[in-house]
Amino acid sequence: MRKADKPSGTNLKFSLTVNSRLERLSEIANFIELAARESGLNEDQIYDVQMAVDEACANVIEHAYHGRTDGTIDIVCEKRDHEFVVTIRDFGERFNPKKVARPQIGVPLSRRNIGGLGLFFMHKMMDKVQFDFAAGSGNRLTMVKKIKK
Amino acid sequence: MKHDLIVLTPTGRLDAAGARPLEAELKAHIAAGEVNILIDFEDTPYISSDGLRALLAAQKQAKKRGGALKLCCLNHRLSEIFEMSGFDKVFEIYASREQAERSFAPLGG
Repeated sequence: MRKADKPSGTNLKFSLTVNSRLERLSEIANFIELAARESGLNEDQIYDVQMAVDEACANVIEHAYHGRTDGTIDIVCEKRDHEFVVTIRDFGERFNPKKVARPQIGVPLSRRNIGGLGLFFMHKMMDKVQFDFAAGSGNRLTMVKKIKK
Repeated sequence: MKHDLIVLTPTGRLDAAGARPLEAELKAHIAAGEVNILIDFEDTPYISSDGLRALLAAQKQAKKRGGALKLCCLNHRLSEIFEMSGFDKVFEIYASREQAERSFAPLGG
């Protein structure tokens, strides 16, 4: 982990770059825990952000990189005033959240399909989830958690 | 043999990496006809959607063969994740291992 800069004393920035291996997910969770704790999030908020980032990075590895292990995932955490902002970038296949089926939460077991659950949790755990894509700079996911005392 | 209760106690995070060995273990038991399975989450701090998917797949297979996958000892965040996603309706979930084991008792263990 690299603590990149500390411009004003209240705003903080942390970054981590890993390759696209599922085995790196626990390292990512540890990084989020440190960055979130240092930014003043409480235990429940840390858990929420860890889960959202875990789901997002698993999606990147499985869907953007299709299991390829040589892809790059850049994760930046920033504390901006009363928000904790996580930005995740990858350079794999373009992700279109509209193509992901919504999970069928109330549907009986036998008729349930199991897509879209990761995305569902990301929205549940965070205050804002936004996907962007630009040719040349890949997928960029921005997720915001409001820091509550 | 068929009615023996299998108890699994996964340790560590059930993220996309951690779910794979559990999924393989569940498949192997079910394929061997061991379809009454209790998973004790005492040592599991976290489960992701991949972990839930592995449990759901195993539950479908176990039920098809007349068995069931049941769960116990979820921490409060795990319970919340199951409720939020509706997975608490897919499994019988018990607070303690003893209660969970007793729920299998009529099968004769």
